[in-house]
Amino acid sequence: MSRMVIVGIIIAILFVFIGTFWLYESTETFDKIAELFGAEEQSIYQAPFPDYEIPGFEGNKIVNIAIGITSTLLILGVTFIVGKALRVRKVKR
Amino acid sequence: MHIPDGFLDLHICAITYLATIIFLVFAFKRAREVIDEKHIPLMATLTAMFFAAQMMNYPIIGGTTAHLLGGPILAITLGPYAGLISMTIILLIQALLFGDGGIITLGANIWNMGIIGVFIPYIICLLILKIKNSKNALMIGIFLAAFIGDVLAAIFAGLELGLSTLTFPYSVPIAVTAMGLHHSIIGIGEGIVTIIIISIILKVRPDLMNIPKIAPKWMGELKISTMR
Repeated sequence: MSRMVIVGIIIAILFVFIGTFWLYESTETFDKIAELFGAEEQSIYQAPFPDYEIPGFEGNKIVNIAIGITSTLLILGVTFIVGKALRVRKVKR
Repeated sequence: MHIPDGFLDLHICAITYLATIIFLVFAFKRAREVIDEKHIPLMATLTAMFFAAQMMNYPIIGGTTAHLLGGPILAITLGPYAGLISMTIILLIQALLFGDGGIITLGANIWNMGIIGVFIPYIICLLILKIKNSKNALMIGIFLAAFIGDVLAAIFAGLELGLSTLTFPYSVPIAVTAMGLHHSIIGIGEGIVTIIIISIILKVRPDLMNIPKIAPKWMGELKISTMR
């Protein structure tokens, strides 16, 4: 794995730690405006890890970090696969 | 800015899905023509980094918080089509795994953050560098690109909200003004962070800025690595 990817992963993990221990309070402008307007969320699908937490382990920082790191690596992997798939199709052409 | 299900009228969701799918078809088509081995690790790393960066919420005004979008950096380093693909992966996983943004509203979310939040910064940067091709102009261009991209993405979100008359009995101006005002603060933050990150890349790995951009042919190349 290239040095750039490793440095990127380390920075991403640092972001996960900062987002878990310090900058975790989230009240997005959008939610505030929606609340003001009286709009309510109507989910048609129940996500397995709502609000980046595992049900039953809400507020557990270790679990939050594990979810953050795992999902970051998942995104890395998915993007690699999409990129490779596009590259394979280019080579075939 | 992730719009949950239930906030937008179905016809708004349908229109934004359709527009987003058209852009995605062009993005994948162009990416297949341009992408090479240099793009893939950079694209994967930046996508993972901005997914993680979106977990950090910093306080702004009126008790609200904001997070980086990352669209401007993705657009400037990889090109807007690659940025769109990256943002789509982020938004899809956020919606499917974490319920951050809805499924029916996914088209609107990709439109706002993956198309407006990516293409507008790229176009602004291109225009400013056409006017003046220097490092100072680049930094001003990057800041304006990120700022305007963020604010316009928010304005689109407000527009979709305001036009959803069945859900929100409020007018477009109220929703657009509220979103635009708050996100102008977020845009300043995005602009500063984008300048810092691009400056670091230019100093440490200027070659990364030189890879061909995955962008519509008619837009042209954004070449900034050799700038003084």
